[in-house]
Amino acid sequence: MNISCFQMMSLCRKEWRIVMDTPLGYVMAIAFLMVSGFFFESNLFLIGQADMRAWFSILSLLLMFFIPAMAMRMLADEKRSGTFELLATMPVTTISIVLGKYFALWVQVLALLALTLLYPLTLSWLGDLDLGQVSASYLAAILLASSYAAVCLYASAITRYEVVAYVLGFVMILLLFLLSKAIPTFSPAVQDWLVLLSPVSHYESMLRGLIRLSDVMFFVVMTGIFLTLTWFELERRRWR
Amino acid sequence: MIQADKLSRLYGDKYAVRDLSFHVRRGEVMGLLGPNGAGKSTTMKMLTCFLPPSSGSVVLAGLPLHDDLEVRRRVGYLPEHAPSYIDLNVEAHLSFVGRMHGIPTATLSDRIREMSTLCGLEGRLHQRIDELSKGYRQRVGLASSMLHDPECLILDEPTTGLDPNQMVEIRQLIRRLGEKKTVLLSSHVLSEVDAVCDRMMIIDDGVLGAMGTRDELIGLTSAGLVLHVCMRGNATAVVARIREQYKDCTVDMSDSTDNGLSELVFRHADMNIPLAESVFSAVVAEAGVILDMHMQETSLEDVFHHLTGRPL
Repeated sequence: MNISCFQMMSLCRKEWRIVMDTPLGYVMAIAFLMVSGFFFESNLFLIGQADMRAWFSILSLLLMFFIPAMAMRMLADEKRSGTFELLATMPVTTISIVLGKYFALWVQVLALLALTLLYPLTLSWLGDLDLGQVSASYLAAILLASSYAAVCLYASAITRYEVVAYVLGFVMILLLFLLSKAIPTFSPAVQDWLVLLSPVSHYESMLRGLIRLSDVMFFVVMTGIFLTLTWFELERRRWR
Repeated sequence: MIQADKLSRLYGDKYAVRDLSFHVRRGEVMGLLGPNGAGKSTTMKMLTCFLPPSSGSVVLAGLPLHDDLEVRRRVGYLPEHAPSYIDLNVEAHLSFVGRMHGIPTATLSDRIREMSTLCGLEGRLHQRIDELSKGYRQRVGLASSMLHDPECLILDEPTTGLDPNQMVEIRQLIRRLGEKKTVLLSSHVLSEVDAVCDRMMIIDDGVLGAMGTRDELIGLTSAGLVLHVCMRGNATAVVARIREQYKDCTVDMSDSTDNGLSELVFRHADMNIPLAESVFSAVVAEAGVILDMHMQETSLEDVFHHLTGRPL
């Protein structure tokens, strides 16, 4: 295996170990399942159909609260405790650090989403669930969560304080979310551009069961931009 | 092994380190001595590729600093306060550090065992780092820095926070390491540098004040021969005899009327004259009694004071 790939995996493994050895991961998983489960069952009995579209809409809001909480310590804690100096003086490139951290966070988010597979399994047992649409929705949720994770990793890179990282990550995602809600207030010409820039618009488009390359690319590009910003932020100390 | 040439680092428009040139040979322990804020940590951060120098060049283990990944492979670094992943246990932390340095999985556990024995961490491997004392955390930091068997060791205040016994152990360990490796350690504790290092450099405000062995540094600032004598008897006659023998000798004399003792301080620029013997003979000749006689030695504190104009 390539050495930098091995290092990224080691970094990822270390993050996992911290999540598993501390109450952090368990508290997060239990809280997420409680809140998402509440919205799942309340919608289920309200609508009375084997349909998850309403739940997936709410999921985008839940991710807005939970992903900043999972990402806040990733780099802020390393900077505050001084271990970033240890990490940055190991024979590892900054991009490997960023990707290792991001991959660790991404796998955690994926694990959280995997826990919710219980809901479509229950629904498919109870009624006739459109598995194609649910699969596309899960792909949309993974892509949205991946881009939110990149935003929050960047927030964690620009501060030494975890709480500040949480608030910054949350506010940045909230602004992106509000952008989609404010679209109707703009002129039609501007609306077309804003729809293109709003992650929630792309997410909701995929919830219809339609996987368009433009939607997928939007999330990939957004993730790439924020990972580049994170790299830039970590490298900045060298340029002062 | 470490060759720095006119190394400088600016923070804004203020120099943290300015035109620092030095070299450390293989098998040598070099001490970087200076008060807090002198530029010791900045120098070490530059040598370990954490911060790039604003100007100047460094060759470390035969490699220029811009070949940073290879340099980092050959350098072991203990940052100030020995940061470590406190949520992990010692073994997990060392495994992580080892893997990041590319130590093969097959040899990693042997290497961890070896380093933990060397640093006195046996029996602590499965303990979480946040449950360890400051001294043990420092040992974990040292073990991490040596895990990949680096050619150069750069240790930023390695004994801070240790109790006296631990300090002695860590100093012995550094001395042993220094026999084979190049070690650069920083400290603001003079006794530590004195006990561990072959050579030392004094920096203040980012500028190199002096560099050399302990004796060389003391030689730089020596105030000559200073002899303190406490005697009973005719001190004035003793002083007259000495002045007759050594024309350039200056003497401070203070008499204590309460107990009839005299305190004398003889100073002479030439370190090699047998002043003590002469004083002894003079006191005997005047039928006096010497109660105390000692040479005043120039300490590293005096050297630092002399070079920087302020105490350490």
